[in-house]
Amino acid sequence: MTKRTDLITWFTYTLLYITLSQSWNLLGGYTGQQNLGHAAFFGIGALCARYIWLYGLPLPLALFAGALAAALFALIIGFPAFKLKGVYFIIGTLVLAEILKTIFDTILPRANVLPSKLLNTYSLTPRYYLSLIVAVLVVAFVYWVSRSRLGLGLMSIREDEDAAEASGVNTRKYKLTAFLISTFTAGLAGGVFAYYSAAAQPGYLFSAVWTFDAVIIVFVGGVGTIIGPIIGSVFFVLLKQLLSLYLPGGSHLLVFGILFIIVVLYLPGGLIGFMAKLRRASSSSRKKRGRKSQIVT
Amino acid sequence: MLLEVKKVTKSFGGLVAVKDLEFTVNEGDVIGLIGPNGSGKTTSFHLIGGFLKPDKGEIRFEGNDITGLKPHRICQGGIARTFQLTKPFTGMTALENVMVGGLYGGDPNQKMRQAGEECEKILAFVGLGGKGQSPVSALSVVDRKRLEIARALATRPKMLLLDEMMSGLTPAEMDGALDLVRAIRDSGVTLIVVEHVMKAILEVSHRLIVLNHGEKIAEGAPQEVVNNKTVIEAYLGD
Repeated sequence: MTKRTDLITWFTYTLLYITLSQSWNLLGGYTGQQNLGHAAFFGIGALCARYIWLYGLPLPLALFAGALAAALFALIIGFPAFKLKGVYFIIGTLVLAEILKTIFDTILPRANVLPSKLLNTYSLTPRYYLSLIVAVLVVAFVYWVSRSRLGLGLMSIREDEDAAEASGVNTRKYKLTAFLISTFTAGLAGGVFAYYSAAAQPGYLFSAVWTFDAVIIVFVGGVGTIIGPIIGSVFFVLLKQLLSLYLPGGSHLLVFGILFIIVVLYLPGGLIGFMAKLRRASSSSRKKRGRKSQIVT
Repeated sequence: MLLEVKKVTKSFGGLVAVKDLEFTVNEGDVIGLIGPNGSGKTTSFHLIGGFLKPDKGEIRFEGNDITGLKPHRICQGGIARTFQLTKPFTGMTALENVMVGGLYGGDPNQKMRQAGEECEKILAFVGLGGKGQSPVSALSVVDRKRLEIARALATRPKMLLLDEMMSGLTPAEMDGALDLVRAIRDSGVTLIVVEHVMKAILEVSHRLIVLNHGEKIAEGAPQEVVNNKTVIEAYLGD
């Protein structure tokens, strides 16, 4: 019986991470704007959704409101934030999340525990299904964006902002659009987590862990791809669970940190790129054997 | 009159990069913009294309004031440009590169399929037919230059600013590039060409504008201008 709840918890976390990392991927991977304040939007979504849900409103409404709050906040800070470019944008967003964390940690109670009525009927199954639905919706949406006119524009910004402008792309507007979608979906992920948690600490909801987990997952899986964050999430949760069996708590971060460095330095395409490389290598070596005289590049 | 540049000045700190620049371009013109290194040619392109704001002066396109507009607005308004060092969208295919131009600078209401088909034609026009699915990393230097032009053409420009498209090309490749410039001209696009390769610029342009230290020092028919004493001095020193 415990085995089963363990499994459901794994799945729920995996799906939550798929949502969160995919939301980061849209802005960081496809648009090339690395937001290190992603936890702020996760936290806002989580807090809003949780309080609205506990207030007694229907859960879908609470989730939507949380996501909307995250996107609204993004709209407010988006205008000044995108005046910053490159590394300044990264630092700015990082600081922002830390500020919010401190604020909410101070003004809200330490832990928000579910009322006993809800706690007594707590079941993992609906949490699992919710995380599944949200993950599927978010992945489908990001996939749709990536294949659309919008996706082309976002990728052009990632590749070269000047060339994008010169080709008619309103870079400011589309960066902001990507930021809004990214933060809205991060807020959704937050809402899922708020619904999952029996006890939520505001400080933890805004913790930088959420950002860095998402970043690591995206890069290890394959940045700027749809499958990357999915594979990355499965890999991340699996490895995290396995490592926690043998190593003291938290040391999975050490392993992932090293993995992250290796990927950034030697495998810029992540696991996805690595697999594609292997495929190409094996198919080209087959070709080489077939036609010796021809040089295959 | 298609383009009017009126008394445009731009300085960086103490350095005046372009000073009281004035010229006009008529529809169908091929203008050669030449001058020694650092004479303000690329700065002029940046000013017309909206990448820099003039300190003084005015730029009008089809009678509308476009001074200080963002580059994407200028592009949508009908002025496309290429960059001296090509700036392809490296992580995308050749076709996707061109489609960005078509969907954002050209017709935003196009369907993706439609844009794809049209951009395939543009790729064929610049000599990259069949290379639509190639990643940029698989393209040679000359193909990247062609891609840069294809992307600019996809925005359906009335005027195209070509920044040193001949640099780094072999003589044979240069002939191909010249044919392309002529084909673009014949398709009805007005051109301003910045170029170091004199042979190339003399062959294609109707009129030359010569810059030195950010100022226009000569303007006229190509053969007249290259025999002009001030121009020769500017190039060779006094």
